[in-house]
Amino acid sequence: MSAGRVALALAVAALAVAIAISARPAPQSDAERADAIAAELRCPVCQGLSVRDSPSETARQMRDLVTQRVREGRTDDQIRDEFRRSYGDWVLLSPPATGWTGLVWALPIALVAGGFLVAGGALRRSTRTAGGSEAPTPAQLATLRERAATEDEHE
Amino acid sequence: MIRAARVGAIGAIAGIVIVLALGFRYDPHDIRSATVGKPAPAFALPSLEGGGTVDLASYRGKVVVVNFFASWCIPCKQEHAAIASAWSRYRTADVVLIGTLYQDDADAGREFMRRLGGGWPTAIDGDGRVALSFGVFGIPETFFISRDGVIAGRHIGPIDEETLIAGIEAIRTGPAGR
Repeated sequence: MSAGRVALALAVAALAVAIAISARPAPQSDAERADAIAAELRCPVCQGLSVRDSPSETARQMRDLVTQRVREGRTDDQIRDEFRRSYGDWVLLSPPATGWTGLVWALPIALVAGGFLVAGGALRRSTRTAGGSEAPTPAQLATLRERAATEDEHE
Repeated sequence: MIRAARVGAIGAIAGIVIVLALGFRYDPHDIRSATVGKPAPAFALPSLEGGGTVDLASYRGKVVVVNFFASWCIPCKQEHAAIASAWSRYRTADVVLIGTLYQDDADAGREFMRRLGGGWPTAIDGDGRVALSFGVFGIPETFFISRDGVIAGRHIGPIDEETLIAGIEAIRTGPAGR
């Protein structure tokens, strides 16, 4: 392998390592983790506010619980699941895409896909219609000439 | 092409009608509880009366009614007479009522119970952890727990005596209550 190729390979490898490192999520402090989880939880006594953003006493108690669970070393999923056990999926501001919630996500996609199918069908039909004006085959030409000659004779 | 568009439009309208028909079947005030049908979260809280704890586990085998309240809560005052009446009716039976003071000062809670009357075990949920584990939305809220420790029912808002009795009797006469 030439020196140029080795240098190129090393450059590519270095680039890949740099991308991998930069793509890695930055380590969060406990406070940042608690804040991020609280932002995903819905405040039970508010109108559409997250536990992080609500000034209510209930939200404060929920934030305290999240902070304690983070300190205890629970994972994000374990903490979210603890609240889901008490309040159901409702407590998540972005509930999992299952059941009725899944329908909300799936319906627009299904409608767009249906639109594409209808448009594709219409396009195919119009192409087929345009195909009807293609040049006639030699056999068709012969038949047409024969018919024209017959009509001339009659005239 | 026109036929396909018509079929598509009819399908879309039918879909919307079905979704609306299903959606209107639900009462928007009927908040489904994730804890009903599940084992009641265990708790042992300091007693409001002072000294000792109120431990839910010690009432296993009895029908337990857990009521979350606060002295500053007006609907809690409104429902208090119904709770006191149910307590008088069932205090010698196999039914236990537990009041749980939520988001309130202990002294204010004691004054509330002294003024309005009580006598049933009352606990202080100081940090609200028990209320959160039960999935309490707002007070007053009442949970009916069967003899095997499973939450059989829940009532959000001020409860009347009739609803209290119905909730208790549903457990006492139901399969889990016998």
